[in-house]
Amino acid sequence: MSLAFQVDELQVRAGHNVLIDALSLSLKAGEALTLLGESGAGKSLLAQAIMGNLPSGLRASGQVRVGQHTSPAGEGAKRRPLWGRQIGLLPQEPWLALDPTMRVRDQVAETHALVTAVRWPEARTRAAHDLDAIGLAHARDHYPHQISGGMAQRVAFAAVHAGAAPLLIVDEPTKGLDAALRDDVVALLQQTLAEGGAVLTITHDVAVARALGGSIAVMQQGQIVEQGDAASVLNAPAHAYTRALLAAEPARWPDRPPTQIGQCLIQGRKLGKRFGHRLLFEQLDIHIHAGERLAIQGGSGSGKTTLGNILLGLIAPDHGEVLRAPGLPRQGLQKLYQDPAAAFAPRLSLGQALRDLIRLHRLDGRELGPLLTRLRLSPSLLERLPGQVSGGELQRIALARLLLLKPAVIFADEPTSRLDPLTQQETLTLLADTAETHGCALVLVTHDPDIATRLTSTQLQMP
Amino acid sequence: MNIQGISPVAGVLGRRGLQALLVAALVGTLSFFLMRMLPGDAAYRIAAGRYGYDLVSAAAAEAVRVELGLDQPWYLALVGWWAQLAEFDLGTSLVTGHAIADDIAHQLGHTLLLAFCAMALSLLIGPALGILAGLRPGGAIDRITLLGATVLRAFPPFVLGILLILGLSVHLGYLPAAGHGEATSVVLPALTLALGLAAGSCRIARDAFSQVVNSPYYAFGRTKGLSDRQVLLRHGLRNAAVPIVAYLGMQMVFIIEGVVILETLFAWPGIGHALIHAIFWRDVPMIQGCVLVFALLFVTLNTLVDLACLALDPRRRH
Repeated sequence: MSLAFQVDELQVRAGHNVLIDALSLSLKAGEALTLLGESGAGKSLLAQAIMGNLPSGLRASGQVRVGQHTSPAGEGAKRRPLWGRQIGLLPQEPWLALDPTMRVRDQVAETHALVTAVRWPEARTRAAHDLDAIGLAHARDHYPHQISGGMAQRVAFAAVHAGAAPLLIVDEPTKGLDAALRDDVVALLQQTLAEGGAVLTITHDVAVARALGGSIAVMQQGQIVEQGDAASVLNAPAHAYTRALLAAEPARWPDRPPTQIGQCLIQGRKLGKRFGHRLLFEQLDIHIHAGERLAIQGGSGSGKTTLGNILLGLIAPDHGEVLRAPGLPRQGLQKLYQDPAAAFAPRLSLGQALRDLIRLHRLDGRELGPLLTRLRLSPSLLERLPGQVSGGELQRIALARLLLLKPAVIFADEPTSRLDPLTQQETLTLLADTAETHGCALVLVTHDPDIATRLTSTQLQMP
Repeated sequence: MNIQGISPVAGVLGRRGLQALLVAALVGTLSFFLMRMLPGDAAYRIAAGRYGYDLVSAAAAEAVRVELGLDQPWYLALVGWWAQLAEFDLGTSLVTGHAIADDIAHQLGHTLLLAFCAMALSLLIGPALGILAGLRPGGAIDRITLLGATVLRAFPPFVLGILLILGLSVHLGYLPAAGHGEATSVVLPALTLALGLAAGSCRIARDAFSQVVNSPYYAFGRTKGLSDRQVLLRHGLRNAAVPIVAYLGMQMVFIIEGVVILETLFAWPGIGHALIHAIFWRDVPMIQGCVLVFALLFVTLNTLVDLACLALDPRRRH
């Protein structure tokens, strides 16, 4: 088997700060290499260093070889001609990576026409074939806003695949996807391997690494701490960090003991809701009791968030009614959002956001200190802006913000789907712990059945 | 697709059509009251317009008053005006006695020519510079265009017009200073208007373009293997055009305001010029006609902008 790609002694620096150090990797045609690691470990920087499009201010040294082409890592511009032809890059969040003003077929056809230099009419025919082959025949003439995230993922794959590059780099392909869509992506990558392509996958999703097989490299703080074939790394992890990463998979979490359940706080009776012609749910009954932990489960677009918003009183159901326990104030129901960055004003310091809340509701500001300690947040974080702290920290600050209001029910909407597994486990455990300490009911929306069964005692499956 | 494609267009046309009716009714009524509330005796002014200030007498003014029914109570006059409007009859000029519709149809052509030249010129200057600036935010072109746009935007059109007259016609003698006798006469007023317009669209284009260039789909176009030029043409221009075209709708206000001032400054025989003169002479039907045409022009141009946005951005169609 010929060598598809190799990096030697790759180092990436920002000034004197070393972000990736002495990294060497290689990959043969038809093989898979999965790079596992937490957010901020430098995984995405590695993809950029290989492509040669590092953000300005970062310097790379070492050698990068792609196929027969070798160049110094620092001279990224030399690898630009390889883009699409020798190296394919499957983008993160494909829904955003498709041009919103172009039909999907044209976005695939342009790779045929402009990268592999086929004539346009032929390119359009081939693009139609490509889309048929991945089950998107009906969506050829759709625009990106008319297709789902999973379909966008497949369109992006077809657009990259059309260039027939022997090396495919995949950066966080499953970010924000549910289990079914994740399996879809894995199937596409396996197909590439079967065709003789080499696949370098960068992810924090252990399930993807397990499904792809091949070899695994585990990265922590810019260095590879463990490397080997997939079976041995996953079954007999040698490094402590690898063990922690594997233990953070929701399927391996310990079960939480059930809690004391009190009176019924919110009751939804015969709820029904549709969006346009699509029925989300009907005749749905739900009860939320004091101190209860309940999971609302279901795939993308099944109406989980909508049901939550109906229970919170943010939107009205088409049918049925929501009854709240007498004496339960409006602030007694609080929501923890999926994307914490979108739940804070971007140009206000975090401390200001919390102080404003305390002033508005005339709360006792002295409670904030102990609350931050309990959530393992350093008070110095409060001087920063929301964009200057990590996703896990920001989600915990969002949690602190709603706990100040002493809610009776916390409604957490996929609160960790954008976090890496270790941070996810830490955040969710803390969420369940604090809900218990404060005596709140916790309603958790999740697409991950393992998280639902490990963390909560009652599960509601959306139709 | 067809059904989905037609209904938003019909929606725009229906909404804007209704708006045109409302605007006509409101503007017609408002202009009537504004004219009634102006100080001074309208009959005297009209008589002066007809016979010259030297020849106006109380008797001439009284004759005008009786002839035109200016002694009617206001509500009768208003009802009369509404009835005329409903029949698309704009009346006759109190000063010249010509049919207003004929006068305006003639002047509208000049105004549209000026507005069209100004818009075309501004689109050549503004978005092109904006795209260059947006390709390298913070670069030399970006800073120079920011300074230029700020300075141009800070000048009222008449000051800019006078500066251009001084520079291009008085000093250099390249272009006629005013009038409409020569083919090049339109250049100076159009350029004056275009510079102010370009100052706005340049900054909008710059922001739109830097946003597009930093978008994930632009990056994906590049990593797919497209050259910089191919990505710009296939994924850059159309996406950046969406906010620029939407902004044109806002610029209509600037155009209409500019047309009134610049036509007067450059003695360009359009509706703006006619409007100012009609106000001087208290030629109420002429004023009402001009204002009405401006208002409808505004709605029509905004309708075109809406349709262009629909054509450019498929997300608005569904």
